Amino acid sequence: MDDLRKYAAELLEKGEVAAVIGYQQVSEKRTKPIIAKTAEDCAKLVFNEYCLNNLAVYLTKARVKELRRVNGAVLKLAITAKPCDVHGIVALIQESQLKREDVTIISFNCAGVVKDFGMDFNGETLATKCVPCDTHKPLYSDMVFGEEKETPKVSDEVLAKIESIEKMSAAERFEYFKAEFDKCIKCYACRAACPLCYCQRCITDKTIPRWVESSAHSRGNFSWNVVRAFHLSGRCIGCGECERACPMDIPLSLLNRKMVIEAKEAYSYISGRSLETPTLVGSFDVKDSDELFM
Amino acid sequence: MSEEKWEPKIVAFVCNWCTYTGADLAGTSRLKYPTNVKLIRVMCSGGIDPVFILKAFERGADGILVSGCHPNDCHYNAGNFHARRRWEFFDELLKFLGIEEGRLQFSWVSASEGKKFVDVVTKVTNDVKAMGQFKAYKDLNDEFTAKFPEPVLNEKEIIMSEEDAK
Amino acid sequence: MEEKIISKEDLLNLCKDVIGNGHTLITPGKTEYTVVKDTSEIVLDTTAKPTKASYKTFVFPKAEPVIYYKRGKNDVQLLDVEVEQKKTVILGAKPCDTNSFNILRHLFNWDYKDEFYNVREKQFIVIGLMCNFSDNFCFCTSVGSSPVSDKGADIFLVPLDENNYTLRVVTEKGGEFIKDYSKYLNAGDEAKTKAVTDTVKHPEIAFDSKQVHEWLGTNFENPKWDGVGDLCLSCAQCAFVCPVCHCFDIVDEDYNYTEGRRMKNWDGCQFGHFTLHASGHNPRDIQGKRYRQRVNHKFKYYVDKFGEILCTGCGRCSRGCAVSIDIKEIVSNCKD
Repeated sequence: MDDLRKYAAELLEKGEVAAVIGYQQVSEKRTKPIIAKTAEDCAKLVFNEYCLNNLAVYLTKARVKELRRVNGAVLKLAITAKPCDVHGIVALIQESQLKREDVTIISFNCAGVVKDFGMDFNGETLATKCVPCDTHKPLYSDMVFGEEKETPKVSDEVLAKIESIEKMSAAERFEYFKAEFDKCIKCYACRAACPLCYCQRCITDKTIPRWVESSAHSRGNFSWNVVRAFHLSGRCIGCGECERACPMDIPLSLLNRKMVIEAKEAYSYISGRSLETPTLVGSFDVKDSDELFM
Repeated sequence: MSEEKWEPKIVAFVCNWCTYTGADLAGTSRLKYPTNVKLIRVMCSGGIDPVFILKAFERGADGILVSGCHPNDCHYNAGNFHARRRWEFFDELLKFLGIEEGRLQFSWVSASEGKKFVDVVTKVTNDVKAMGQFKAYKDLNDEFTAKFPEPVLNEKEIIMSEEDAK
Repeated sequence: MEEKIISKEDLLNLCKDVIGNGHTLITPGKTEYTVVKDTSEIVLDTTAKPTKASYKTFVFPKAEPVIYYKRGKNDVQLLDVEVEQKKTVILGAKPCDTNSFNILRHLFNWDYKDEFYNVREKQFIVIGLMCNFSDNFCFCTSVGSSPVSDKGADIFLVPLDENNYTLRVVTEKGGEFIKDYSKYLNAGDEAKTKAVTDTVKHPEIAFDSKQVHEWLGTNFENPKWDGVGDLCLSCAQCAFVCPVCHCFDIVDEDYNYTEGRRMKNWDGCQFGHFTLHASGHNPRDIQGKRYRQRVNHKFKYYVDKFGEILCTGCGRCSRGCAVSIDIKEIVSNCKD
């Protein structure tokens, strides 16, 4: 932890970065984000299994971008990111929301995080997003801390659930998702917490015409959740922040994971893995399957 | 509406340069195709936003056809290639969410394929006819409209009074 | 105030009768308050964490039509919406929740009497349950409530031992309701109840609401506000789970070209678009200003206008916040 704090403070001192986006401890088993602008702030930085947030979401926020302007110069931003969060940063760079040279990635060797704050870290409390994770070392980084650790082995509940849903009949599936979406209260926490939902103006905020009804009734909820899942198809990096942010416990990771699997099976593509490849939905291949079309 | 009289409502989103022209050819060639289909012309199959589909289902469409130029024939070079990936995802997502296969169908129909257009539209219409009315999506607000029924207002009074007619 | 004793079994029998009489029974579920279909679902746990969402949706739904319209060529016809007449009983509400109607009532009745709210509230029987849960986010004691407070409840339950509850009738409405079920009640023992409530651990008082109110009055432009919202992601989770947040948006929804309904939907002050003007100007353009509004509305404006703090201290907003923004901490910092 000390080397992280020292490194972050040095970056600030050298005037290389304007701020370090990181985690701070708020109680024994809970952390929250911090935007460290001074050496004093840097002394609060931590990294442990309670660092649940995907901080990449802050990189596209106007207020945070503004921070980069210091005394007439435009500095870099440093961010502490778990290996999975790095995927988010990579995806943002792929989608031209960010430049690699504008961000200093401080990463960690990660063995997984807990499902929710206040839990002890063991196999049972491993976050669902960590179960299928194959990136315990960051793919891109400017600095890596921490030792490699063994990740607990847990059965993949989300995958099992997807498989059980696929076995249902269409009508049953529709009923299942209708009941889940009915819980939605349209607080848009899923949208806010997602690093890839960076649109300045979301389609749900557009009123003339209003494609997605803003009312939180079944129909409005269904179209919002379909649109959200679709807009993240082939883009979702599987950080699970939407589901964690959801106050109504809607299993959003089912949809996201399903589309991640689809992208992998149909196009051998996983979002946020390589800076060199173009995004999946932003590109095409003339040899793509034509099966769907009559 | 009684069951026997029911005719499916099909909405077809078609691209201006191929499928729409193909439909035109079907017309000028005096080919017959089911009148259930309502064509909506857009400039390119790549410009059809999936929310159009959702909206059509919300408003009571029983089946939807999306059709554009054959790959490599796009008027804008690559519009349909982009569309192809997108529709692949959207179709998969809708199936996962429990919207029956066949409610949403896709095709490539070129400007010279008047006959293919007729075949496609006939197939979609027959498929949807076999599946019956698509109430599930339209009735998403069922409990809502049951509690607050759709307004039953005195039509005579408002739609066209004699003065309005003048 | 009248105290009675009811056994656990009889309490469940009472619930069965309530459902049998065609009333709606609601208890805290896993995430939200849910309608009970079978009494076996009922769990009365004083140590349970508050549900993620409050029960305000039952009096102030997340989306509801307020009027139907039909456009003619020269006129518009309107059709009123009737609010459903159905008695709703809520069982096991936390003391921080029970207080919510006392606070909300002012808002829906000050210049215009909101029929939708009033009709529903009138049919609502709140059966509160003493609370033995407390975490870092609870601060009911700082806003004038407590884990054993029966403020706002019609009937209040205190578990005496494994099988018996003290049932305290708090309001006339509660008395009227319990009359039908008096066969389940036995004579109460106030000393016993007091012995139980005295053992309850109260959350520490985090701030003095009067001092906060004073500070807010003179510190609208305080630079402290600037950094408050930088971490906020601008969702409305905090407002939507809050038992007393009540902002709403009016939207017209069309069935077809001539018919439609006007909807009243929840809205939240932390959305960037909440105050966006048609001109493009946004008076609360940054998150700091939005959070300042949130705190001021809760601890100053509402107090000035109605004499009540617009907060029950349940801590839901902080507990559920994706970036752990803690309102208790921010309000505690509202001092020089």
